[in-house]
Amino acid sequence: MEKEKLESLLIDYIDGKLSEADRALVEQELAKSEEAYSMYEQLREVIQAMKKSLPIEPGISLKRDFDKFLKAELESIQKPKGKVVSFQSYAYRIAAGVAFVILSVSIGYQVNKNYRQEQELARLKSEMDATKQMMMAMLDNQQSASQRMVGATVAFKMEKMDDEIVTALAKSMNEDPNTNVRLAAMEALSKFYQEPGVQKVLIHSLSVQKDPVVQIALIQLLVQMKEKSVVNELEKIADDPVTLKAVKDEAYNGILKLS
Amino acid sequence: MKKLVLVMGIVAVALSATFAQEFKVAKSTGRLELNIGRVTVEGYNGNEIVFSSKDHRGKEDERANGLRAINSLGLEDNTGLGINVADKGNVIEVNQLKKMNSPDVRIMVPKGVIVSFSFESQYGGTAAFKNMENEIEVSANYNSIELENVTGPLTVKTVYGHVEADLSQNVKGPVSIVSVYGYADVTLPVATKANLKMSTSYGEIFVAPEFKIEIEKTGSMVRYSDKISGTINGGGLNLDIRCDYGKVYLRKK
Repeated sequence: MEKEKLESLLIDYIDGKLSEADRALVEQELAKSEEAYSMYEQLREVIQAMKKSLPIEPGISLKRDFDKFLKAELESIQKPKGKVVSFQSYAYRIAAGVAFVILSVSIGYQVNKNYRQEQELARLKSEMDATKQMMMAMLDNQQSASQRMVGATVAFKMEKMDDEIVTALAKSMNEDPNTNVRLAAMEALSKFYQEPGVQKVLIHSLSVQKDPVVQIALIQLLVQMKEKSVVNELEKIADDPVTLKAVKDEAYNGILKLS
Repeated sequence: MKKLVLVMGIVAVALSATFAQEFKVAKSTGRLELNIGRVTVEGYNGNEIVFSSKDHRGKEDERANGLRAINSLGLEDNTGLGINVADKGNVIEVNQLKKMNSPDVRIMVPKGVIVSFSFESQYGGTAAFKNMENEIEVSANYNSIELENVTGPLTVKTVYGHVEADLSQNVKGPVSIVSVYGYADVTLPVATKANLKMSTSYGEIFVAPEFKIEIEKTGSMVRYSDKISGTINGGGLNLDIRCDYGKVYLRKK
């Protein structure tokens, strides 16, 4: 058996900490080898000596110095600063914690809000685009005049118009085979009569409009808009022999009101 | 004696049935475009568009016997009713052959067919539409338009004629009626939810007191008192009536 292992086993044997099997092993070894036995003897002596010896007391001066030092150290840590520091640090920690929570929540909220706003905007935009596409498709429905009417009505309810919509409505107003659709398109445009683009479209329509019913409504609208620049065009309409009498009357009426 | 009357009656019905010509087109969707001066269109549950004549026999021109009416469109009377019916796939086009005397035609249409009436000449008559759930488009100059028990959607324009519209319980929008010189007399169920626009330039507007119109102010433009824009029963379908020189009547059903 190796020396180190035997030594540690012997120590435990002396202390009585070995299991049955190990003890049998150690006793066997002790009976067998002289060397092991002498080692056992030595170890037992050392251990017994250790058990007998008193705990070592530090010297009185050393103890006094140490106590003094410890007291000073404790005072320096605890007394003046200690409490305040710890209190402050608690307050700071709480404050920091709260601040962190608030900050993270508000950042999170902001991020979320921005995200939501963006989403909302995107949703609104896609909705508007969808509405616009639907409206354009409706205005283009060759089968059903009432669908085109609905398209013009959707345009009438819109908050604002872009050029594409204005162009589409202008086309409906000037070219749609159905008078009612033309009127509805004109009505939708008239809601935005203050926008220069729409104004131009309405003024232009007067010179190309062939539907007498729309002509009458258009003249009335332009007169309400106080659009003095159309007087010449009104005179042309009034002088045209093929113009319907009702349209002529409206044109004269307009000329009188505008000039 | 009674028996004799009965027999004579049966014979008369049988005779009229054999004389009454019908022309049928199997079609339950698409558009029916009528370019004829006088017509009565009726809705029914079927799959065919059925044309028949309402003209009374006997007032025919004897000199024209054996001859056929032609017009500049080069169309033929392929129905025996004085009209040409052309099937152009999704569109059925109906034209009359005589210029001055529009034949009086009765047409039965299935529910899914859009009916479009368009006539410019002043030598026409009344265009009547009865018991229809179809979409109806009317674009006329001189014809008067009579609508009875129709649901819409409706777009009606006539310059000189008047419009009488009796709308049934379940009205479908949009309904738009325009006449320059004629009146518009519209009958509407009281419970109809509608966005109402009524205007006249030189006429008057009369409304049944049962309709509580909530006038809405729209835009910044000056609106004259002869242009009414508002809702009834909280708003809903769009109902526009415009008569420049004629009067507007809105009655309750």
